Parts: sequence; C-alpha cells; structure tokens
Amino acid sequence: MLRLVSAASKPSSAGRLSRVVCSNCSATIGRRTLASTSARSADITLTVDGKEVTVPQGSALIQACEAAGATIPRFCYHDRLAIAGNCRMCLVEVERSPKPVASCAMPAMPGSKVFTNTPLVHEAREGVMEFLLANHPLDCPICDQGGECDLQDQSMRYGSDRSRFHEVYGKRAVENKDLGPLVKTSMNRCIQCTRCVRFANEVAGVEDLGTTGRGNDLQIGMYVEKMMDSELSGNVVDLCPVGALTSKPYAFHARPWELKNTESVDVLDALGSNIRIDSRGVQVMRIQPRTNDAVNEEWISDKARYAYDGLKFQRLTTPLVKDGDRFVPATWEAALQAVADGLKRSGATGDEIQAVAGQLADTEALVALKDLVNRLGSDNTALDGGRGAAPPVAGVDVRANFLLNATIPGVERADAILLVGTNPRHEAAVLNSRIRKSWLHTGLEVGLIGARADTAYGYEYLGDGARALADFVAGKGTFAKTFQAAKRPLIIIGSAVAEQEDGPAVYNALAKFVEKNKERMLTPEWNGFAVLQRAASHAAAYEIGFVPSKHAAATRPKFVYLLNADEVDPAAISPDAFVVYQGHHGDLGAQLADVCLPAAAYTEKGMTWVNTEGRVQLGRAAVPPPGAAREDWKIIRALSEVLGVTLPYDDVLAVRDRMWELSPTLVRYDVTEPTSVGVARAGLGVLAEATKSTKVSGAPLARPIANFYQTDPISRASVTMAQCTRAFVRGEDYDDAARATEAAFG
Amino acid sequence: MSVFRAGADALLRPTLGRSLAWSSRALSTEASDVKPPVEADKAPSEIAPIPQKDVVTADVVSGAPAELRHRAVRIYQPTRNTMQSGGAKMERWRIDWDILPGGGRWENPLMGWASSADYMQGTRISFRSKEDAIHFAEKQGWDYYVQPPGAKNIPPKNYSENFVYKPHKLRIARTK
Ligand code: SF4
Ligand code: FES
Repeated sequence: MLRLVSAASKPSSAGRLSRVVCSNCSATIGRRTLASTSARSADITLTVDGKEVTVPQGSALIQACEAAGATIPRFCYHDRLAIAGNCRMCLVEVERSPKPVASCAMPAMPGSKVFTNTPLVHEAREGVMEFLLANHPLDCPICDQGGECDLQDQSMRYGSDRSRFHEVYGKRAVENKDLGPLVKTSMNRCIQCTRCVRFANEVAGVEDLGTTGRGNDLQIGMYVEKMMDSELSGNVVDLCPVGALTSKPYAFHARPWELKNTESVDVLDALGSNIRIDSRGVQVMRIQPRTNDAVNEEWISDKARYAYDGLKFQRLTTPLVKDGDRFVPATWEAALQAVADGLKRSGATGDEIQAVAGQLADTEALVALKDLVNRLGSDNTALDGGRGAAPPVAGVDVRANFLLNATIPGVERADAILLVGTNPRHEAAVLNSRIRKSWLHTGLEVGLIGARADTAYGYEYLGDGARALADFVAGKGTFAKTFQAAKRPLIIIGSAVAEQEDGPAVYNALAKFVEKNKERMLTPEWNGFAVLQRAASHAAAYEIGFVPSKHAAATRPKFVYLLNADEVDPAAISPDAFVVYQGHHGDLGAQLADVCLPAAAYTEKGMTWVNTEGRVQLGRAAVPPPGAAREDWKIIRALSEVLGVTLPYDDVLAVRDRMWELSPTLVRYDVTEPTSVGVARAGLGVLAEATKSTKVSGAPLARPIANFYQTDPISRASVTMAQCTRAFVRGEDYDDAARATEAAFG
Repeated sequence: MSVFRAGADALLRPTLGRSLAWSSRALSTEASDVKPPVEADKAPSEIAPIPQKDVVTADVVSGAPAELRHRAVRIYQPTRNTMQSGGAKMERWRIDWDILPGGGRWENPLMGWASSADYMQGTRISFRSKEDAIHFAEKQGWDYYVQPPGAKNIPPKNYSENFVYKPHKLRIARTK
C-alpha cells in the first residue's frame, strides 16, 4: 500500500514525514520520486464536514479534521507519539469508502470528502465505546482519573447508555504491575491504547515496557517484574487516557475540579520546563507539564513533577538567629538587625563581604543582592558548588559563551552531537528526549567525552577527558570524521566541565575547534557551541554578572550572604565569618548560618527565570509562602534599608526596570535572543585567549549529578524523591509498608 | 463588591468585538446605564468614528476597591490539561489575579479548609480574544501582563512512519 521515497530527502526531523507518500496519491508519486524539491512544501486540500481545509502533505486525516475544527474523539492517537491506530475511537466517514475509517491511521488524501458527524459515525463510535466499556471496571468514584478522564468524557458524549455484553465470567481482570514509586497501576482499567508503551519506547527509551498477549488478553507490562526506570516516567500518567496509570504520590489526594491551576516555570533543572502548578488551599497538590514546543513539548522530568512534596518539609517559616549553638525564632526586625550587627561585628569591608547564590535563586533576588553587595563596596558575588567562587572559565561578557546557543528545539536539527562532560539524561532530562527523538528519526550520530552514561540513545564513546578531546580535534576516530562531514554539528558542553581540573583546557580546545570550523559551526542560522547549564539560576547569574572579580575571588570573606546556596563547601567558609542564609529550606546552607531569613520557594513567587538557552520566562505564584517567609528580593530590599544602603526599588516592576538596565533581554519574555556570529566569535576568541596557557592533566571529566532525584534542597526534602533514590539509584525496596498492605489484598 | 460585579458583568459581554461603541458611554455614572449602547452602535454616519483610547471610566463607576488598581492581572491563554486530549476552551483568553503574598490565604483552624482575605482569588474572566481582554483591563485601569501562548508545532504525522526503512543500524525495537 505504501511506497517510501527516502533517497532524496534530507535527514531532518521536520522532514522525516515527508519521506512517506501514500500510493493513493499516485498521480503525484511518479513525479515526486524524481523531483528535487522537498515534499514537505506540498499541501493538499480536502473537505471535512463541507469545509475545505488545506493541510501539509503526509498529514493524518485526524489532523486535517482538527484543522477544520471538527473534534475527533480518540484514545490512542497522541500528537507527540507514533500512530498506533488500535482504539478505533476516531472513526470517521469518508465518501466512497465502504466502512468508517480510523482517521488517525489514514493519511489525508487530496479531494476526499470526510464526514465526522453522521449517523454512521455516531453508531460506529457508540459501538467502539461499547467494546471498550465491556471490560472496563466501574471504578470512577474511586478512580484518580475521575474528572479528567478521556474515557469518562467520551462515553458521556459518544457512548450508549447500555451494553449488550454480559460476560459469563465477569469482566476481565488483570494483575497490577509495580512500576515503581511514581506510577500507580490499576490494570483492570487499561483500554490497551498503548500510549504508555509508545511513550516509553520512543521518548523515554525504556524499551522493555511492552505488550504481551493478544486481543482481550493483551497486557501492558515490563515482561519481567521490574520497575520502570526512567526520569520521564511520570509522563505516562498524563498520557494514559483512563485511570490505569495514575500518580502514586497524588493517589486519592484531590479531584481535578478542586484544584487551582497556575501556569509557571520549573526550576529544578535549567531547562525552564513549563509547568502548571495545581494547588488546593495553601498546598501544592501536584505539578503537571504545560505544552510548549519551544521548551519541553509536553513532557517534564520526574523531579519537576514529583519533588513538590519537598515544599512541605524542612521549610524555614520564621527568621532564626543563632544563639550559642541553637537557632532562636526572631521577628523580621530583630533578624535584619542581627544581620546588620553581624556585618559590623565581623568587620568585613570591601571584598570581604561575599554573596553566594545557589541553584534556586531567582533573577530579581540576584539583581537585588548584587546591587546590595556592590553598594557595600564589594565585588565578591559568587555561585555555590564547584568553582563558583572563582571567576568562570568561559567568562560572562558574551552570552554565547555560557548559553545553549543552538536552542532546545534547535538541538533536533543537529546531525552530529558531541557531548562533553555531560549526561543530558540527568542534567536536562527533557532535552535528552529530544536528542533521542532526533536520534531515532534522523541519522543523528552522537559522541561522548566524559564519564560513560546510559543516555537512552546510542553514542560513540570517545574517552574520558581532555586527551580524548585532543584526538577528536585532531580528527582521529570515526566519530571525528562524521562530525567533520556533518552539516549542523553541535557540541554540548556540560556545566560541570568548567568545574573540573581540565575545564580550561577543554574549553580552549573547543573554542579553537569551533573557530576552525566556523563555516559550519558559527553561521547566522546555526551556532554549534552550546553550554548546558544544570542550575536554574546560573544563566541569569552570568547574564547579570553575578561572578566575582579576580581580586574578590582571592579575598577571604568575613561576611557571607548565602542566597539559596546549599552546595557551599563548609570548609570554604572561615569559622569566624558571619553567615546569613536566605532561602526556603533548612538544608546545608542554613546549618552554616548565624541568621536564617525565610524566603519563598519557586511555587510561591512570580519571578523571572532564565533557562539554559537564555529564554527568559516569568513564573507565577500558586500558593502563599508559609509563615513569615517573604519573596527574596523584598528581603534583600528590607535588609538594604537596615544596612543604610537603601536599594532604589520599591516594587517588583522597579526591580525589573533595573534588570532591563543590566540586560534588556531579561525583560523580553519567552524568546531566545540569538548572538550574532561576530559577537559569538569574539567571545570564543576571548575564551581561547584566557585559557591558552593551561596544561592538560588528563584527569577524567567527572559527572556532576550522581543521583538525579536529589539535586537541590526541594528534592532532598521530598519523600517521593527519597523513594525514587532508594528504588532507582540504590536498587532497594522503596516502600516496604505499602508492599505489606498490598500483599494483604493479594 | 456587588456593584463591581454588576459592572463587570455588564461590561464583559458587550465588549467582545466592538470596543468602539464604548466611547459614547465614557461619562455614564451608573453601572446600569452602561448596558445597551445599541442605538449609538447602529446610527449610520458618514464620518468614520475616531478610534480613541477608552477613557478609564469603568473603575470609577464599578465601585471596585481602589486597591485593585495596584494589582497587576495576567492575561493568558490557559494551556490544555495534559491529562486529557480534548482541546475545548483552549482558544479563550483569561484574566486572573496573582495571589496575595503573605495573608492572602490560610488554613482555617476550625475545619482545616482554606480561607482567604483576597476577594479576587476566585475570579477568572474569560475573553474570546487577547484584544478583548486587554481592552477590558485597560478600561478597568488595571496593569496587565500578557503572557504569550506557548509555541505549538506538531509535524504532519503518518501511520506509515512506523514502517519507514532506515538505512542505518536499527535504533528502536518496537514493543507495541
Ligand atoms: S495503561 Fe493506559 S496508556 Fe497504557 S495502554 Fe493501558 S490505557 Fe493506554
Ligand atoms: S485514535 Fe485512531 S485508532 Fe485510536
């Protein structure tokens, strides 16, 4: 039936569909095989319910119907998964076709007349519904999907009010599977749409979630008893159109109609995935992805989705002042005064006043803190973790030196990717799924330098450090040759590279390499030099210059202001220094502090976040901060008054004006501003110059994230993430108590 | 509050799609006066009306508390719930308010339910277009932030993709 035209087409993800042309359009096919233009450009016109629509050639009929504004019920079809065509809910009538056709599995044909609202279609849908419900349990009142269930809604709309099936043996019963601490299964409810299987297979790269059996006996499972080990596994809960896969941490906690939805931005990695925070009262009940094809498509990582319960534990709710070896609750006035006194007592002047920002610091707070510290005469603004206290290797003068210049959707256009010192699967799980998508559907080749990792796609391992990179640059090995021949080569440099011994050497080699291959790697359309940040605050911090000067980095601070900084090395803070911690969790940073100032977490403030590609996004507060906690920039503003260096902004708009002064991109929301070729080259030139005298030690590039599930104070406080750590990282039994109760039913 | 509601309701519906008619009632003093500007609408005229920016009147007559003017509203298009496939109500634009930090909400000690001191926390207003929403916010004298909708880019999909020949090593073992 189908003929493939693949030889002439370019391997690009957008064009991958264009290779497929249906034989029914035979008039065009002869020409197409010889034509040099891409088939993508062709559009076809058809009639849906008497309305003409034009869709790109190769679209599915269901897409054409959607384009015409006709709603097609569906269970198995999903915009971001391969088409399966096994639920049959999407039947439509096509003129001169003897039977109703499944619109998702049928290509749209030019000139065909489609009807989506005829008695035949209604009857067909009703019949399908009857089959689906024949074995579906009447669980709705106790099912977590209730209220947002496709089966519920569609049976209300398209179903019949009675069934002709009365199974002698009752309804089909299927054993539940244990997919781990995140996904709860209730397999009786499964309608075998296989969305979960396709997701695991294509997107997450868990190739052992699959189907066994046929027809009524078809079961979804891992074949052997095994958990679904993927950092994207939570997405199958969204995909499942019924309540077969639901969220374990959220089980029986709320109904969708009780929840208030707030559209915001995730900050637990540097991608800035778009999320929707569902809250009830003062609690975050769950976090859902928000579709945005420019960032996270429709997926979020399990950390982004399930770490929210960490927001309930270990919170700082009131200002604390250290008295001897214990913290005493204080009022805001007393706490701020204690900070002012502490600053005076420590005798810190100039660069001895240090501000350290952590992963979860928002841009407004960074700007306010930098202004405050600068006003106190210090240039000592550092980041926590790694070598944050030293000026960054790549410099901050040119944005292209620290951003993922290719942009997140742009990664899919690369035809060769070299990963240096990074495991995107843990540092940016959703980006990793994009690489996998491209790897599956195009001829993408991936190479990796650094610690070996299970990336969910195949890669060529080049070596573990700067030596391997030198070989690559010299063109040794097959991957280096592939890379040389690639049209859009991309080098993704992990944020951890800069923190390593050989970091400067690696940067130097790469900067020179990009400069040498500038006609392919630095063009107006393509910038193949990409740095993958892993902390939500870092791109913003670099953007506003929240880095220490050389002199400041060499100073031993006497007064340390930790803004959400929990990765600090306690040994780096001298014991007689006065330490202030501002943040939302009593994690490591708070332990070091003399004064703790409670602040709002990311679900409690509507602040600006800059993701790794430089996209500026505005979050939104869903729930109020607990207790006396306040928004970060307000705390800093209040403190500035007590310290006698009042900052000149009184509301958040004034702070944003200040941000605009620092960098206008910080108030241009939801766009990525590309760096021009000339500036990017200049930046690489500066980078190469600054790192030119470094020696290669040959030390392996270590991976920065050992445990994906616990990387920040929120996920460290989360019970769910602790269970994931036990189940997936340590391979232990994650929840003995729940097992015991389940066994009672078994 | 009730006056405001009445004003808001009255303003909401006719605003959709015909903002020009509104300059005629710029000076009306009562919310009920604002209702049917039908005659003004239909009166034929050779002179094209000057599209003027609305005088900010609604908040004068609506009786809304003055504090409301200090709270920026957000205008956005809610995205589809990823739990479901249906796309209904996705084309609407919504106005709602940021929560009040601090005392906006608390857990009621009596029953454990949520209490709120924020009279706008449950209010959402839907509009057919972004322009309508902006127009409404301007008329009320509210500061607003328009959140652009997320990019949508679904490539054409085809069943036969499942069977496309790939020249290189097989990269996926389909378990479906
Ligand atoms: S578990 Fe859910 S998503 Fe998976 S096949 Fe069954 S109904 Fe579909
Ligand atoms: S949506 Fe078409 S068969 Fe399932």
